[in-house]
Amino acid sequence: MSLLEVSNLRRDFGGLTAVHDLTFSVEPGEIVGLIGPNGAGKTTTFAMLSGFITPTSGEILFKGTSINKLKPHQVCLLGLTRTFQIVQPFPDMTVLENVMIGAYTHHPNTVDAKKKAMEVLERINLAHKAEEQGKILTLPELKRLEIGKALATEPSLLLLDEVAAGLKDVEMEEILELVRQLNREGITFLIVEHLMKVIMNLSHRVIVLDFGQMIGQGTPAEISKNPAVLAAYLGKED
Amino acid sequence: MKIQIKKSTILIGLLLIVGFILPRFAGEYYIHISVLVLFYAYMAVSWNILGGYAGQHSLGHALFMGIGAYTSTYLFTVIGLTPWIGMWLGGAFAGVIGGFVGYLCFRYGVKGPYFALVTIALAEAAVYIVTNIPSIGGAQGLEVAWTGNAPQLMQFDGKSGYYYMILVMTIIAVWLSSWLIKRRFGYQLLSIRENEDAAEALGVNTLRLKIQATVISAVMTALGGTFFAQYFTYINPRAVFGEGPSVQILLFAIIGGIGTVWGPVVGALVLIPIAELSRGWLGGTFAGAQILLYGTVLVLTMLFMPNGILGLYHKFLGKFQNRQSDGGKSEAL
Repeated sequence: MSLLEVSNLRRDFGGLTAVHDLTFSVEPGEIVGLIGPNGAGKTTTFAMLSGFITPTSGEILFKGTSINKLKPHQVCLLGLTRTFQIVQPFPDMTVLENVMIGAYTHHPNTVDAKKKAMEVLERINLAHKAEEQGKILTLPELKRLEIGKALATEPSLLLLDEVAAGLKDVEMEEILELVRQLNREGITFLIVEHLMKVIMNLSHRVIVLDFGQMIGQGTPAEISKNPAVLAAYLGKED
Repeated sequence: MKIQIKKSTILIGLLLIVGFILPRFAGEYYIHISVLVLFYAYMAVSWNILGGYAGQHSLGHALFMGIGAYTSTYLFTVIGLTPWIGMWLGGAFAGVIGGFVGYLCFRYGVKGPYFALVTIALAEAAVYIVTNIPSIGGAQGLEVAWTGNAPQLMQFDGKSGYYYMILVMTIIAVWLSSWLIKRRFGYQLLSIRENEDAAEALGVNTLRLKIQATVISAVMTALGGTFFAQYFTYINPRAVFGEGPSVQILLFAIIGGIGTVWGPVVGALVLIPIAELSRGWLGGTFAGAQILLYGTVLVLTMLFMPNGILGLYHKFLGKFQNRQSDGGKSEAL
């Protein structure tokens, strides 16, 4: 059984169809990249998968359960957690407390949640900032915190939205290595990314969207030669 | 760290001792001011759970105060039910209304200034509804009949009985507030205030939590409403449902330090004496000057301490500690 099965997903905003008849699946253990030009429907898809937007029609099955109508916190409890493209820390709480909010999902007791959060902070290399306020972190730290908060909810599928955007090469490499490591430990990833370097480097499989539809999928190498994909990105040759 | 915990424990212990022996030394007038300080501290602590922790700024908390005051007073006047029971019925009533208001607003995503407007509107509506029901006093309000020194009816001879009652209520409220904030419930409320979408994405049931916070805050505020009615022995729609109490309640929380355990208490502790004493000193000779003074204090506080008195204190504390730790580092290097 696939971990995530999306079939005939559609979302209209008034007269505009942001996502149009989208069908794909994610298998356990994969890192799947979701790419497409601006306005292709990546963000809308993410919002639907994580429960922030309800699909107009179609079906999302996560671990065999339909999650179409679920709220974000319910989706998160099932093991599907997202991060945000623009980092969303809790600015006036400490870094530890930021991660604890995620940890509380499965550890209602504060002592346990704190312990879990400290473990996560070690993983994302932020333990030394545990007592600092969320708002004083640098961008690379905030990006790691964003992953850390999601990680603390103990997800089986993690949706990463442009996790490398705005980072320098070294900082980016650090994040990519973290993702690879977490993947080896059994977390499945679905990532939206603008930077081809990141997608090609990280994904086992790439899904390409354009105008709300899937126009191709395959390994990074296949995708980079796919004529439909090239046309969408570079324009058609006449 | 250990020393700090000890310091705060000592401070709280001292406050408690002073609090409990105060009526033995202070005259009626100063006990009255202390009752006001404690009452508004209690109300501000109650407001702070919804407004400070969860970040949902209710500008109509008098709605709950009025429900508490009217429920217990009406039951006392009509069937002679002791306010000790009436206050809990008022609390329950306010809790139900609070849950309804919370559900109504938060289910449909009403937040920020819009939530504030809805709460103002509801409290104002209550003023007019109560004004137009003659059987509960209408515009004239209700009077609590004086039965002499009757602690079983929440009536005390002299002010110290009321003083001890509101002191205990405030202690319990502060304790509850500090207990809530150290557990999952409290942290999740803070996360809603800080970033609601992020909280929701991390598994926080924001709708349920905001409604729960509204209910807790409403019940506590209503209990305070009963105290208000018993202490002043007279209530009318404007005095308990009006914008006056609504604004006063949150003023102390904001001036003292919104979203902190002690901020609301500090706010009341600083502002009430300024307001009351200046009225005593200036009211006779320069009528109106005390309001000018009070207003000036408020403006200056907001200008120079946007995070309240405690906010400023923590800022200085933070700077001091940073400097100390920096000093330590450079020495080590």
